[in-house]
Amino acid sequence: MAAASAARTVGRRSRHLFDFFVAEIPWTVSSKELKEYFSQFGAVQRCQLPFDRDTGFHRRYCWIKFSTPQDVQNVLQKDSHILEGSKLTLKQQTRRKRSQRRTPRE
Amino acid sequence: MVGPRHVGPAAAQSRCAAHVPRAVMAALLSSAGRLRALRPRLPPLLPPLLPPLRPPRPDSRNTSQIRFLTLAPQEEGRVKEEPISEIRTRPTWQFDWALNKVDNSVRKTGRIPKSLLLKIFQEMSKAGSPGSNQTLLLLRSCGTLLPEVVSPERTQLAHMIWDKMKELGAVYDTSHYNALLKVYLQNEHKFSPTEFLARMEEANVQPNRVTYQRLIAAYCNEGDIEGASKILGFMKNKELPITEAVFSSLVKGHARAGDMKSAENILSVMRMAGVEPGPDTYLSLLNVYAEKGDVDSIKKTLEEVEKTEGYLMDRILMQVIFNLVKAGYPQYVEDIKQRIRFERELIPDAMNLCLTLITHGFEDISFSILKSFSHLPRDNMDQGSFFLQHCVNRDMPVKKLKQYCNELKEAKMHSAPLTFILRCALETNKPALAIDVMKMMKEEGLPLRPHYSWPLLVQYHKEKNLQGVFEVLKVMHELGVELDAETYTDYVFKNFADSETARSQLKKNGCLFESVELHVAEIRWEAANGRLDKVLSILSSANTPSIDCRLFRNSLIWGFKSSDDVHLWSKITELLYKDERYCLTPPGPTEAVGYFLYHLIDSMSDSEVQAKEERLRQYFHQLKEMNIVIPASHCNGICRLLDSSQVPELIKGARLLCDKKSLSTDNIPESAKSDVSALEKKLEKRKAENQPITDVLKQLIHALCEEENMQKALEVKAKYEPDMVVGGYAALINLCCRHDNVEEAMNLKEKVFPKSSPVALDTGKYIALVEALEKHGRLEDAINILTEMKEKGVPISGRTVASFSRILNAAAMRGDVETVNRLHETIVNLGLAESPVLHSPLITVHLEKDDMPAALEALTSCYKKYGKILQLHNIYCRLVEKGDAELLQKVSDFISREYGDMMALYDLFFAFLQTGKYKEARKVIETPGLRAHPGRLQWFAKRCIMNNQMETLEQLVELTQNLFECDRDEMYYYLLQLCENNDDWGKAEAVWTKIQEENIVPREKTLTLLADILQKNGQVVPFEVPKVRQEDSRSLSAAVEEERKIRMLCKKNKGKEAYNVFMKMQEKEEFHAYSYDALIKALLAENFLDEAMEVKRIAETHIKGFTLNSAASSLLIISQVRRDYLKDAMAVLKGVLDSGMLPSRPAATALIQAVAEKGDLKNLQALKNMLEDVTKSIDLSPSLMANAVALAHVKTNDLDAAVEYLEPLLISGAQNPDQAVRNISYLLRKVSEEGLEPALKKFGVMAERLASQFGIYRPVTDLFLQYVSADRVDDARSLIQRCDAIAREKRTLGSFMARAATKPGQAKMIERLLELIPEHLDTEVAYRYLLRCYELDGDVASVKAVYEKTKAKNVQLHELSLKSLAVFLKNVGEPVPFTEPPETFRFYVEKWRNRRLEAS
Repeated sequence: MAAASAARTVGRRSRHLFDFFVAEIPWTVSSKELKEYFSQFGAVQRCQLPFDRDTGFHRRYCWIKFSTPQDVQNVLQKDSHILEGSKLTLKQQTRRKRSQRRTPRE
Repeated sequence: MVGPRHVGPAAAQSRCAAHVPRAVMAALLSSAGRLRALRPRLPPLLPPLLPPLRPPRPDSRNTSQIRFLTLAPQEEGRVKEEPISEIRTRPTWQFDWALNKVDNSVRKTGRIPKSLLLKIFQEMSKAGSPGSNQTLLLLRSCGTLLPEVVSPERTQLAHMIWDKMKELGAVYDTSHYNALLKVYLQNEHKFSPTEFLARMEEANVQPNRVTYQRLIAAYCNEGDIEGASKILGFMKNKELPITEAVFSSLVKGHARAGDMKSAENILSVMRMAGVEPGPDTYLSLLNVYAEKGDVDSIKKTLEEVEKTEGYLMDRILMQVIFNLVKAGYPQYVEDIKQRIRFERELIPDAMNLCLTLITHGFEDISFSILKSFSHLPRDNMDQGSFFLQHCVNRDMPVKKLKQYCNELKEAKMHSAPLTFILRCALETNKPALAIDVMKMMKEEGLPLRPHYSWPLLVQYHKEKNLQGVFEVLKVMHELGVELDAETYTDYVFKNFADSETARSQLKKNGCLFESVELHVAEIRWEAANGRLDKVLSILSSANTPSIDCRLFRNSLIWGFKSSDDVHLWSKITELLYKDERYCLTPPGPTEAVGYFLYHLIDSMSDSEVQAKEERLRQYFHQLKEMNIVIPASHCNGICRLLDSSQVPELIKGARLLCDKKSLSTDNIPESAKSDVSALEKKLEKRKAENQPITDVLKQLIHALCEEENMQKALEVKAKYEPDMVVGGYAALINLCCRHDNVEEAMNLKEKVFPKSSPVALDTGKYIALVEALEKHGRLEDAINILTEMKEKGVPISGRTVASFSRILNAAAMRGDVETVNRLHETIVNLGLAESPVLHSPLITVHLEKDDMPAALEALTSCYKKYGKILQLHNIYCRLVEKGDAELLQKVSDFISREYGDMMALYDLFFAFLQTGKYKEARKVIETPGLRAHPGRLQWFAKRCIMNNQMETLEQLVELTQNLFECDRDEMYYYLLQLCENNDDWGKAEAVWTKIQEENIVPREKTLTLLADILQKNGQVVPFEVPKVRQEDSRSLSAAVEEERKIRMLCKKNKGKEAYNVFMKMQEKEEFHAYSYDALIKALLAENFLDEAMEVKRIAETHIKGFTLNSAASSLLIISQVRRDYLKDAMAVLKGVLDSGMLPSRPAATALIQAVAEKGDLKNLQALKNMLEDVTKSIDLSPSLMANAVALAHVKTNDLDAAVEYLEPLLISGAQNPDQAVRNISYLLRKVSEEGLEPALKKFGVMAERLASQFGIYRPVTDLFLQYVSADRVDDARSLIQRCDAIAREKRTLGSFMARAATKPGQAKMIERLLELIPEHLDTEVAYRYLLRCYELDGDVASVKAVYEKTKAKNVQLHELSLKSLAVFLKNVGEPVPFTEPPETFRFYVEKWRNRRLEAS
């Protein structure tokens, strides 16, 4: 029982993993612009740019998930990513072991 | 989730670290004239190259001021990149982080944003009980570090902080009074120095030299020479030195008293007193000229200084400009400006000047100074942001802002000034300005985005200003921005009861702008609030446009989960399925709804699913009724989720929805596990039955290899040669290598894995071969193997590279140049591996041979070929030691050329420091333009700490005092770390005075460390020790004070005393859980169990659900076991486990053993069940429980049961490494110690049976060692004669000896082993431990005797043994009969450990 739910948690988490953590995003940019920018490398599945509800500004970092590993490689191919004059800092997220269960998405 | 919170500063830091060298490079190159001249400075080896120039050496007491003036270049953009808002909203205040932020801000920019300071002040007031250094930090910040604030306001701030902190219990010492004085001086605050002194006296705080200096400055500010002289008198009486700072003050004092002649005369007075005028003095003089508007004298003085002193006056001139403007002589600014070289290094100072000028209302002059930097390359960084920001803060009119923006844009200094101003306006909540700026942006064709309106909407929401909200919506619409769904859901709708009200209100106020986004927002809003009926009505309304259901999926799931209305669930799902507005795009309704359902279930926890099982069942049935189907893959996924939530019944319901067309089955085959036992017997049997034996044979060979039984393995191989498979051979080859049988290894290899064959060994085995061959001098063979590895494409891992490096280093240490070069060449040329560690031996080998030209040659060739600089510090040091100027120059030039001057200077600096040439080191580090490189400084400091080089480290700290951007606190912290290692409290105390003199605010960790050192050595701590911070303490009530006291006593291990205070305490309600933990722990540590239990009882009555933390609980268990309260101990353990914590291993072990001793099998079984899941986590040996159970059987006099229980475990343990029950040493020790001879005999028989029949030797080895321990030599001897396999358990024997050598009085054991099985012990290891044993016993005679014996027996002792031996002999005053190994003890320990790691 405990093991099953643990496996489930892992399963859930693994699907929510992102490919990149992006920092130093200029304040002028919203997730729409980020998606537009990153879609040149492949299909952006998710882009999470947290906003601070208390100030109305975003926190200048986001997470990005692509559809395929190839997209990720495409992003890595490029030396630097500059968006509206700011150099973004990208950190590739390490992928943990996939859950045993296949997700219906695949 | 820790990520986001820490990302900001960390990212900033890493960016910085990466950036620094390049910026410095640029700076160095741009001012090449100055630096090139200084670069090849190798004094005294190269005297002619020493430049005549002397860098400014400001008086140390003024370091902060000077540092403030001389801040290293920083792109101003960075300042803008640190939005204050981020701090404002942090949910939990990260205290250290904030202090660090202030400190960083000061170091990098020379200023602190006022908002940051205020925020910290507020947080500190809220938290209560401020620490001494926190208060100091706040106070110190109220002077020129706030250029954005006018002086009176700054002083006011300082006073407010002073009073408030005092109220909160801050204790002020001399450093605080000195800091306050500094603030007064910087703010030109008028005050009475005598009163100030009186106040200090009243508070019983002693003034020191720094205090007097600053008081003199205060008198001088008022032109009161008489007052200044009075203080000077004090100083003379106390024989305090009169420094440059005092004279600089006097210059100002005389001038302000109207006596310019005396002012100018001070310079010659000080020269007569033996104090040279420095930058401080000249600044003072220039400032008084500026106050008088005497530009001619300024120019004259400048020319003189430049001629005679050669200082760089740029930073000083900035101050002069400010004084000119302030005194009303702006017309001379241009004159002075022309003399300043506006280079990068000047930027922080110029920024502060600009800010100060704006603050004083001279924004146009400020702007002209800003534009002086327009010639600098911008490198994509915007210049002038700080200027604009401050203008916004000072409420400059829009017109003026616009004009500055235009000019910045024209000068190409800023890429987006308007956008930047918008951000400032939004951040500082200036809606009118923000809207004006957005209008200007639209005119200029700049993009406007919905989220620009969010800060405004947030503010209006806070103010409950609906009109403001409507206004923003209208303006955004007018500006042509279509607001998105987020704007509505997150920032607009929350002003209204529901979306309907919102809609009508917006309409009424003329700001309802229909769009798809608005509808999405409405659906999301209603769903998220659980109003599914509203969602249904919106979705079914004819007015709703087409919307992809994915746009509101998450909110809808949320809504489903918070509603119990199954009917609504179904209706909405049906709508999604059938209304093509919501799933018109491919993949279509089946997929869309399948996907939705999957996510719905996935988002629910197990308990949620279980709680809603019935509703979900109905839901699925209703969907089925509605003829909804989902793809099989989605359905399978849902079923798997349901399965893991343990609701099998529901699975049937979900299956109803499955689209039958695409059904598939997926079976995951279980991998079969082989169960092997008694391989030899099996092999014989199979052979006899004429069955294939290859598999069993292979397993047997592997098992033999595992046991390191080479002889037998080779025999088995010979016997069954035709049935051998490659795997078996490979293991054999490896075994032979391990046993140094390189001949046999090569024979086997050539026979089975010839070069021509495509079959390859695995990497580790090839490496073992190479190593064995190299060791035996068969270089060509080794190279051949390497070539073969390449040809066969053997995979190379990080571990392989480490092995290569080990092999190369071994050859290098022998000074074998040819071997190193050839092996290295082969490895690299073949492309087997490419790593700096591999190249290092190429240089080491020459250093070993002391061939410096060759080492240098190797260094450059490594760099050319591989782009790596290696062993540089060692080369430098060796060259400096040898005084080889020519080569030193050569290597310095080389590094300069390739890595820039800064790196070369650091390398040189470290080499001079390391070799004790401090004068030369000073000259290097004082090179103008050089700045702190934290990484390099840390590298060297850590090295000093590691090698216990106090003098070198002190010099490092001293010499970097004026290094730009040097983190002084960090430097002193290094010094204290070493003081701590050496328990050197005297030095630590001196560090404290130094810190004050440098006007540094130490971080809390520094103060804590300092206090620890002093306390540990029985010294008084001259300041308030930073206390453990409390999370939620409001005010310093008596209870809080007492709690603090209790915690302090606990920390000092005075548990009983703390207990007494606690019992007397009145209000125990406020006592924190962690204090209870600490108190209970302290009591238990002193064995006051009853008191501890009483405290626990009180805690449980005061704090609901109080549970001890795991450390305290573990101690409690141990105490209870000690008192034989086993039942209570079991209960505590259960509590620990139930609350999800882990007990400590000693606690678990003690309890298990105690229960076993009682023969209480029932409770032991209960314990076993409890601990089963955590055995691995707390690193409990699996053998322990088995031993305990067997012991319990013994205690109940049931020996047969014990054996029946234990034996199968040992047999399967030998094959199942995961749950290995291997040793029985605890059991044997117990029965032996208690004289249970029949039991010992019984287990002995079992152990021998296991050895002879099953080849399991560990138990019999344990028996043997038990005999050895119990001094039953005869039993041991006869046992080993019967069962010589014992000798093969090398690891067990090794760890037995290692354990013996950890406490005194155990030498006998090793002596006995040496007597019994000398030929089976690794003599080097055995003698190392034996020596260690006698050293521990302090038995000089035996130590010497053993050493003689090793010499007689020709045993090569490891360097570690020799080092330890030498230290021992020296300590007892005996001569050391051999050369003591030169490195530190720690070095050899590392070496030993590495060897052990490699061996294992």
